[in-house]
Amino acid sequence: MGKIVSVHSFRGGTGKSNTAANLAAQAALRGKRVGVVDTDIQSPGIHVLFGLDETNMGSTLNDFLHNKCEIEDVAFSVGEKAADVEGRKKLAGKDLWLIPSSIRGREISRVIREGYDVNRLNEGLQTLIEKKNLDYLFIDTHPGLNEETLLSIAISDILLVILRPDNQDFQGTAVTVDIARSLDVTNLLLMVNKAVPNKYDYADLKRQIESSYKAPLTGILPLSFDIADNASKDLFSLQFPDHPWSRELVQVAESILTVK
Amino acid sequence: MNSEIARLKKAFLFQGLPDEALEILAQKVVHQSFAKDEALFHRGDWGDSLYIIDEGGVKIVREDERGGELALNHCGPGEIVGEMALFDQEPRSASVIATTATEVLELKQEAFFQLLHQRPDVAFSLIRSLSSRLRFASAYILTATEWSRKIAEGDYSFVDQNDPDAITDEDKAGLMLAEFFKMAKGVKEREENLKRELQKLTLVIDEARRKQEFDELTSTEFYSNLKEQAQRIRAQRRDRS
Repeated sequence: MGKIVSVHSFRGGTGKSNTAANLAAQAALRGKRVGVVDTDIQSPGIHVLFGLDETNMGSTLNDFLHNKCEIEDVAFSVGEKAADVEGRKKLAGKDLWLIPSSIRGREISRVIREGYDVNRLNEGLQTLIEKKNLDYLFIDTHPGLNEETLLSIAISDILLVILRPDNQDFQGTAVTVDIARSLDVTNLLLMVNKAVPNKYDYADLKRQIESSYKAPLTGILPLSFDIADNASKDLFSLQFPDHPWSRELVQVAESILTVK
Repeated sequence: MNSEIARLKKAFLFQGLPDEALEILAQKVVHQSFAKDEALFHRGDWGDSLYIIDEGGVKIVREDERGGELALNHCGPGEIVGEMALFDQEPRSASVIATTATEVLELKQEAFFQLLHQRPDVAFSLIRSLSSRLRFASAYILTATEWSRKIAEGDYSFVDQNDPDAITDEDKAGLMLAEFFKMAKGVKEREENLKRELQKLTLVIDEARRKQEFDELTSTEFYSNLKEQAQRIRAQRRDRS
């Protein structure tokens, strides 16, 4: 049965969407059947990494939540339809489906106003896993601890919490970890992103993080101009596999893939 | 014959010798072949000939304290090994081993002495060659001494100001200076790395605030419903699988 991996962070700007997309891609590259759902309905962003925009986005998660279609109708096959640029090309023929959120302002404000049925979302995710026989379903969540993200955490098999090495993220992650434990999340993993390279003793920080949160730190990924420049249109770890960020990302992916 | 003269000229010993003198020597060289890993001579052997490498290549090696092989130098076509043996008949100071199938020209000391007998003026040319060599070596020794003093003071400016590739002199003094330079560069880099000490990041969590926020989040009705719901969903998923 497929594993649900929620990629979460307490604050925005930690590189969550970029990380979730690249992790999903690495899993698909290794022959896994992978789904990615953008549940950040308020500010969807992961679709860009998979080559979707206003011109080519079809059905969305919003359509499903408003009962206009089934979840399978929303699933966009990245391997078939978006293996066009340098990094994504490597996904040609691989099993990776994206469930995007709508980028239409009207639809976003509707959901913010009316909310949505979380049971319908949960049912949709289960159906997707079954219909596509997924090994992994990555959920790109909205940052912070609100009702939607709490649900996503609650149904996850694996929760990956991403943080930057700064005090606000340390504090927020502490609460997130406590909540996750309270919701019986069986596998809690941590990842530090946007770490300024060659300046800090990260080996020491890893010890502190693991001892404070009592969860494994799967990787410390560097802050990099290359990513700022390249990451938004393609899958960075596929396009630049030898970059230090990509190497660490692969380590994180492997930690996720080895969870029983 | 001309090619042999051209090759003999490459030896520093024979620079400045007239062609006719070299012709006499050229008649006395002997072609020899060595297979890969075969030794031309071993350290400690009685040495009385020089070798001009024609094709292939050799490595000049010594054993280090642990018995491992320490390659001092490599020589290729056109280069000469063992030239000092023409004079001193000292035991070889290093072993020379072919690194591939190698062709050499061997010139024995006897042949060389015959030349001196026929052409005494040659002796003077040789003394001149040796003396200029000595001057080179002295200059290198002085430079190395100067660099040592600077390292001791922590002044590595000479590393950036010098180009070790410019030391084209292949004799021992030149080699030593090039190696010395490499060492100095390595020491400089190690010192710089040590200076760039990594700062420590301290993870500080306000535990009171942490508990407060947790309590706020978990005390809602939504949260208790969610917990129940989550347990149900998990059970469902377990049953389905």
